[in-house]
Amino acid sequence: MKFRGGYNLRVKGRPSAAVEVLPEPDTLYLPLWSRRFKFAEVCVTEGERVKAGRVLARDPANFNVPLLAPRGGIVRLKAVEKHVVLENVVVAPEEPLSEADRLEHAPDKKVRNGKARHKLLVLGAWQFFSDAHTGALPDPSGQPKAVIVSTLRFEPFLARGDVQIAKRLVNFTRGLEHVQSLLEYQPIYLVLPQVKSDLAERIREAIRGYAWVNVVHVPARYPFDNPALLARHLKLKHDPKEPVWAVNADGVLAADRALTLSRPCTVRLISLGGPAVRGPKHLKTVPGYPLRKILDGRLIDPAVRVLNGGGLTDDPFAQDQLGLGAECAGITVLPELAGREFLGFMRPGADRRSYSACFLSALLPLAPLRIDTAMRGERRACVSCGFCEEVCPAGIMPHLIHKYLYRDGLEEAEAARVGLCIGCGLCSFVCPSKIELRRQMLDAQVKIRELQAEEVHS
Amino acid sequence: MKILLDLFERLHPLVGSGGKLKTLKPLVEATENFFFAPSAVTVDSPHVRDALDLKRFMVLVVVGLAPCLAAAVHFFGLRVLAMILVSYAVGGTIEVLFAMVRKEEINEGFLVTGLIFPLTLPPALPLWVVGVGVAIGVVLGKELFGGTGRNLFNPALVGRCFLAIGYPALMAGSWLAAGEGLTGRLLQYVDASTVNAVSSATPLGAAKHGLYAGVGDLFWGNVSGSAGETSAIAIIAGGILLVVTRVANWRTVAGVLGSFALLNAVLHHAAPQTFAPVGWNLCAGGLLFGALFMATDPVTSPVTNGGKWVYAVIIGVVTLLIRSMTGYVEGVMFAILLGNISAPLADEIVVRLRLRRLAHEG
Repeated sequence: MKFRGGYNLRVKGRPSAAVEVLPEPDTLYLPLWSRRFKFAEVCVTEGERVKAGRVLARDPANFNVPLLAPRGGIVRLKAVEKHVVLENVVVAPEEPLSEADRLEHAPDKKVRNGKARHKLLVLGAWQFFSDAHTGALPDPSGQPKAVIVSTLRFEPFLARGDVQIAKRLVNFTRGLEHVQSLLEYQPIYLVLPQVKSDLAERIREAIRGYAWVNVVHVPARYPFDNPALLARHLKLKHDPKEPVWAVNADGVLAADRALTLSRPCTVRLISLGGPAVRGPKHLKTVPGYPLRKILDGRLIDPAVRVLNGGGLTDDPFAQDQLGLGAECAGITVLPELAGREFLGFMRPGADRRSYSACFLSALLPLAPLRIDTAMRGERRACVSCGFCEEVCPAGIMPHLIHKYLYRDGLEEAEAARVGLCIGCGLCSFVCPSKIELRRQMLDAQVKIRELQAEEVHS
Repeated sequence: MKILLDLFERLHPLVGSGGKLKTLKPLVEATENFFFAPSAVTVDSPHVRDALDLKRFMVLVVVGLAPCLAAAVHFFGLRVLAMILVSYAVGGTIEVLFAMVRKEEINEGFLVTGLIFPLTLPPALPLWVVGVGVAIGVVLGKELFGGTGRNLFNPALVGRCFLAIGYPALMAGSWLAAGEGLTGRLLQYVDASTVNAVSSATPLGAAKHGLYAGVGDLFWGNVSGSAGETSAIAIIAGGILLVVTRVANWRTVAGVLGSFALLNAVLHHAAPQTFAPVGWNLCAGGLLFGALFMATDPVTSPVTNGGKWVYAVIIGVVTLLIRSMTGYVEGVMFAILLGNISAPLADEIVVRLRLRRLAHEG
């Protein structure tokens, strides 16, 4: 598949390459859930003093992925609902090298390099991996068809791979070697942007001798960094028995830390961006860091919406979430709609971001503009403008699927390949009739999966 | 502005569910959202949205029509404005009534229909006929299908088609000679009572008798014809705006004009008596107006790019054939309506081909 569609949303608030190390907190609030995981099995007791690297909880539904204590402290389980709270936080000491490291043999000998796989899992590096097609956590003892390593993140505003790798190129290449050690002959695809950049050049230089790395160049446009899309581009079909692993730069660095140093991977390099943030940049922090402390003094607007991830696909933090989640890759802060413009639709609109060329801003396509949470229009019937089809990177026709779903034509929607939708959100973004295309298509995917599951049962 | 906004705030409880004036909700809502940008915020991701909405989309068409409107007033007088007023008043009322009965929002599509319709009419047409035409166009052409976005035919053309078939004598008798000189008819109000000005043959009508108006006149617009269609330069100026802002799809415009010109060139070579020269034919009649402002209506044209080409070629070819080979003087209206009706079929074919290719993806 060739890359098609896509759109780079130029919005104010892109995080700079600067990395700020957040001050050590007194208390950590570790949420017992994240995007993919539910850490249902708590492994510590109330009042227990734990060291950094200790397993606080596990997700039994996801191969026992652990929630690690990023720092030492005293455990409070009941202080805040659905959180493990660590009080009196101290940096040292760390847990002695984990049990995994002392294992002479792998738990399962049939698996290639089982010891390393086990270490990745218990030291918190495995959770950076995903199944390229479904996004789920792959089986750590499974054998993939291929591995896609992406250095890109185009969604505004997630932590950029280039910032994460910049100072750790050696660790990155060593991490690649570790990932390769898990494989038999399967290829690793390293995804680099199709633009000239210093870092990409350095990466190419560093992996020159690595015959097992296939470099893939993609146009620097959202959402061509999406693993499902990359897998389709590389003609890797979905096969539950032989999944395609996808991992980002931070995951490779985590793998390196787990397998070279045998240390738990609890530090995160996340982004803090968006039009409502003063001095958007990257932050070095740990899961559980109080959200309030991250945002304090950094907001420009009085009323904001804080998103747990990027501006196009992710949702706001849950009301009751106090600390940074285990899987957070960035925080995007949007100003809430402040006031209602008088005769807004007649203004020239030099300050408006639009995919169409209907505003004066079309003459300055590269200027980053301020954008807020306004719907910017009323809900209308589809006028068949075709913008959604134009931007769709998956090559499907959102307007057509919308019309099928409007008349409950789930089977027709399936035949129109609603299943290929990657949920990038561009169709909903560009729609002048303000139709929730992304939501409708993702809901249809869930319904179709449910019906298929029912069929298998009956 | 604050006072106006406060007024609307105070109206909210009255038109809300259970309020005394709840039947007026669509009207109040539309007026409020006309003056002030909607207060709705995103609930689902993506949490940011494109600034384009249908209001802007439709207003750009109105802006694109402005040069045509100016030319119409210049060449045919102030009466054009009265026709537009009637069209907006009658059509707007119907739109509001339908919205109130359906309990739906009032749609912006009428901003365009209400202006485009009178511009397609003979400039001396009695005002009551304008009202009848727009009423038929809006009711039969749009509301019966469910409103803007669901209509099969261009509502303005449905209205005009009704008038052309229902009142042929009135339509044929309402042509007006264009105003001469610097001011044209800028300060005149000419209607059917001004007998000597009326019933001037249109260039296409005269061409049937072998009299060809000068291409320069056609280009500039000081010829007889429908109010907004005579000035090629004004239409092109507005059309360029629509194509550049991508409100009008370039494929449709290029397809209509390209197929028309190509076929015309070939046929003119073969039968110069029947087919006028390409340049003349392009500027004459409603072709440019139809290609730029009516065929490009996204709702009634195919949504797929492949379908658009098919649709555009149908319009271009049929226009030429009707214009030159039948008893009708102009064929754009019928050609676009024919294009409208073949649009779903063209889409269906393209969609099936696309889906066949997609079937084995991923």
